[in-house]
Amino acid sequence: MLSIDSVSYRYRAAAHPALSDVSLSVPAGGVYGLLGPNGAGKTTLISLLAGLLPSSTGSIFLNGRPLAEARTANPRAIALVPQDYAFYPMLSVSENLRFFGGALGLGGGELKARVDTAIAFARLEQVVGKRAEQLSGGLRRRLNLAIGLLGRPQLLLLDEPTVGVDPQSRHFLLESIAALPAAGTTVIYTSHYMEEVEAICQRIAIIDQGRVLVEGTLDDILHSPEPVLELHLEQPMPAAIAARYQAIATTPLGYRLQLGSSAELPRLLDDLAAAGCAVRDLSLGQHNLEQVFMRLTQRSLRD
Amino acid sequence: MSPRLLALWLKESIALSRDRHGLLALFIMPTIFILVMTMALRDAFTPGATIDAAYVIVDLDRSPHSQAMARRLDKAATFHRQADVADADTARQGILDRHHALALVLPKGFGERLLTPAGADGQATEPLQLLLDPTLSPALQLAFRNQVMAALGAVRADELTQRAGKLFGLPLVPGKSADKDWPDEIHSVAVRSDQSARLPSSVQQNVPAWLIFAMFFVVIPVSSIFIIERQQGTLQRLRAIGVPFRLILAGKLLPFFVLNQVQAFAMVLVGMFVVPLFGSEALEMPATLPLLINWWLVAAAVSLAAVAWALLIASLARTSEQATIVGGVGNILMGAIGGIMVPKFVMPAGMQAIAELSPMAWGLEGFHSVMLRHAGFAELLPPIGKLLAFAILSLLAAIWLNHRALTNRS
Repeated sequence: MLSIDSVSYRYRAAAHPALSDVSLSVPAGGVYGLLGPNGAGKTTLISLLAGLLPSSTGSIFLNGRPLAEARTANPRAIALVPQDYAFYPMLSVSENLRFFGGALGLGGGELKARVDTAIAFARLEQVVGKRAEQLSGGLRRRLNLAIGLLGRPQLLLLDEPTVGVDPQSRHFLLESIAALPAAGTTVIYTSHYMEEVEAICQRIAIIDQGRVLVEGTLDDILHSPEPVLELHLEQPMPAAIAARYQAIATTPLGYRLQLGSSAELPRLLDDLAAAGCAVRDLSLGQHNLEQVFMRLTQRSLRD
Repeated sequence: MSPRLLALWLKESIALSRDRHGLLALFIMPTIFILVMTMALRDAFTPGATIDAAYVIVDLDRSPHSQAMARRLDKAATFHRQADVADADTARQGILDRHHALALVLPKGFGERLLTPAGADGQATEPLQLLLDPTLSPALQLAFRNQVMAALGAVRADELTQRAGKLFGLPLVPGKSADKDWPDEIHSVAVRSDQSARLPSSVQQNVPAWLIFAMFFVVIPVSSIFIIERQQGTLQRLRAIGVPFRLILAGKLLPFFVLNQVQAFAMVLVGMFVVPLFGSEALEMPATLPLLINWWLVAAAVSLAAVAWALLIASLARTSEQATIVGGVGNILMGAIGGIMVPKFVMPAGMQAIAELSPMAWGLEGFHSVMLRHAGFAELLPPIGKLLAFAILSLLAAIWLNHRALTNRS
């Protein structure tokens, strides 16, 4: 659906390019996670897709058409939900929705229908007459999302859509976003919350310093070909066993071991049982996203 | 009509209607300025107008001539006349008690010896006596003395014509006063470098002046909404759905233009109906439709300049505080040099030349041309043209600034 091919972008007077030879392929009908530390180039990429920045080197195609041409043909094809509360605090919820619908060129019965659908989607029925500045953080996020859906976009760009909301609202937002592809909207989702991305994204890309570090399906990226074992014990691992398997303590009772092959696992468990060392949990050959992210982007602070 | 433009207008109007502080500033501030400044500057604008110094007459003669003299002084109406007192001592005490600053004593025999020069018949003629408060400005002392001299001259002239009439056997209308309307009315005309024109009255100066000043204060609501849009990413969102920046600007121009016209209407009503309640003359608007249209054209040009200027300030400022300071101080400077606070005609020539640089001065010149000289459209073209050029340049600068911010964003 969206094809980004060798895109580079440098801000005027910047020493380094914000994006350098970025190539990505976003298939239709899914939630695509875009991850990276602060300053990685995520916002630049989102801004290019949203038409907020002028053309760059490389090419971007939407449904096989150059992006600019596709946007001209259908300005509602791509919608942006910025990280900020990008609406009018002094206007009520329904006034905000009607305004952005009007700005999309909607009018009459169609506008009313779209506004009603957006209100129902984000469950804003109880607060339609309330001014946006009086809403809680969670309701503001829901309004921000609802506005983005007024034009029924083919591609929705979500920039950190769950910052500053309580767990209930976050759960509701994630469920709603995960349901969007079924309604015909492909989503590009940026977030710093790894568990959110793991929960709703089918494909992800991790970028840093303007370059793509890894891209693929979430399963492929989280699967490790090496038989790395992560385990947590009830008590410290006996020194002899730790030496034998070259275990590295990652937390007080957590260890990472490099097994020669997965066939060595039963023997390790036998050794631990014989030493009276109970296993609380273990995972073999599978990382969580945070581990992958930290390994790829290094651990140094970015700002 | 584009639904997008309609949506932008409606949004801006709702946002504006909820900005109570901004609206208060736009309507209450100029009303107060108009009332205060019209009253404070009332005398400064009317040559020969009433002066706040009172006098009493001590009429010791009580003759038709002394009464004619009092009537003559009344007619001049420059100084406040208080009720006559019986003798000079009471008048003197009144000055000491600051009830009045001046007292004119008309001596006994004033009428009898009106046309008899002192000592002409071997008898002394008692002079008129002027008692005065020494703290009264010397210029006012002299002015009152001159008025008394003028009144005395007129009473003598009346008496002379009366006696000459009798001498030559001219018929007299019984009971008719000897007072005549001598051609002594003087009309003051301000002579300026470009033309001679009637000076504006206090209300004619202050209503358009503070209206222009208030119109330029749309910078506060314009920038407060614009900066919220920029800071919260709303402008980005609008651009992402294909709303061009020029449409966003157009969406702001009309609501604030309409607001400016409401201000103009309200301030004219204040000038016509509220100012008289405070003792000043009412504002007189042009009586014919073409002149009213010309007046409105000036108001429209001032409004376009004010809204475009506000959009430029809103594009320059990063925060509402910056916009308030830059916009507010900019307006006060434009007002100070542009003849809003201090009328241009009292400025020295050098300052008048500097005043020409202020868009507020162009607006005021336009309003005065219509109200004082009943100027036609052709005469209004220079000020209107300058205001429109200023508006276009401000808008282009605002568009350029926003384009530059977009490409430089990091």
